[in-house]
Amino acid sequence: MFRGRHVGYLEGLRYKGKEHMLAWALHRVTGLGMLIFVGIHVIAAFFLNAIGDDVSTTITTLYESTPMQIFVYFCVLYHALNGLRLIVEDLWPPLLRYHRELLWFQWLVFLPVFGLPAFLMLTSILSGSA
Amino acid sequence: MRSQYPNRGSSFEYIMWLFTRLSGVLMLLMGALGIVYANLAGGRTLMDMSTQYRWGFFPIYWHVQNSDIPDVFPNWSNSFWQVYGVLLLLVAAMHGFNGLRVVVEDYVHRPYLLLFAKWLIFILFLFTLFAGAVIVFELFV
Repeated sequence: MFRGRHVGYLEGLRYKGKEHMLAWALHRVTGLGMLIFVGIHVIAAFFLNAIGDDVSTTITTLYESTPMQIFVYFCVLYHALNGLRLIVEDLWPPLLRYHRELLWFQWLVFLPVFGLPAFLMLTSILSGSA
Repeated sequence: MRSQYPNRGSSFEYIMWLFTRLSGVLMLLMGALGIVYANLAGGRTLMDMSTQYRWGFFPIYWHVQNSDIPDVFPNWSNSFWQVYGVLLLLVAAMHGFNGLRVVVEDYVHRPYLLLFAKWLIFILFLFTLFAGAVIVFELFV
């Protein structure tokens, strides 16, 4: 799609896309985050059961840790909400007039729904019970 | 007068565009069903928040056997939830690896490198499916 345009990475970062660009970038980052998490999870579980080596055990303890769960929860929730907004805008293009408002509404939903469980998980790490 | 738009019905990119949206909604519904069933099956007062989300991700019984929930086995160890888990993994892997292909196409410009990357993604996709199916159906030798 954007092939052959040859915009440098720094030049791309200087492009001031505001909320839209943040949503686009976060959608990609969170998508890749989930793909990496699910990928290493499935493959490490496979090798843990098939061979039972130390590498699989290390990876398993890594993705079972609470910070990793908070990261994955961020990825899933942001990607899901942003994806739903995209679907709604695709299905009903007149809503694109309120694109910015929808983006802000999305953050309004995201912050408490992410923040409360993340806070609970974080306090359980800090109190040492997780 | 001919339409200036490409033939939408047969375009691979259009099909994947549609699939990404449909599978996104489907995954949310499947995750929600997993959490609802987990609560109905007796986990309502027994699960902490991270366990709930883990059940939603992938509802098969040893995915939750590390948490202190009694009687997980009889509710979850049947072929319905095994097929459900593999289907969820299939939809999620298609959605995710197709997304990776779209991202890679944006950043890799050399044709042979791109071809190599696409094949690598496809092989990783197949291996993830294979590994997931082996885990879910307990096919270890």
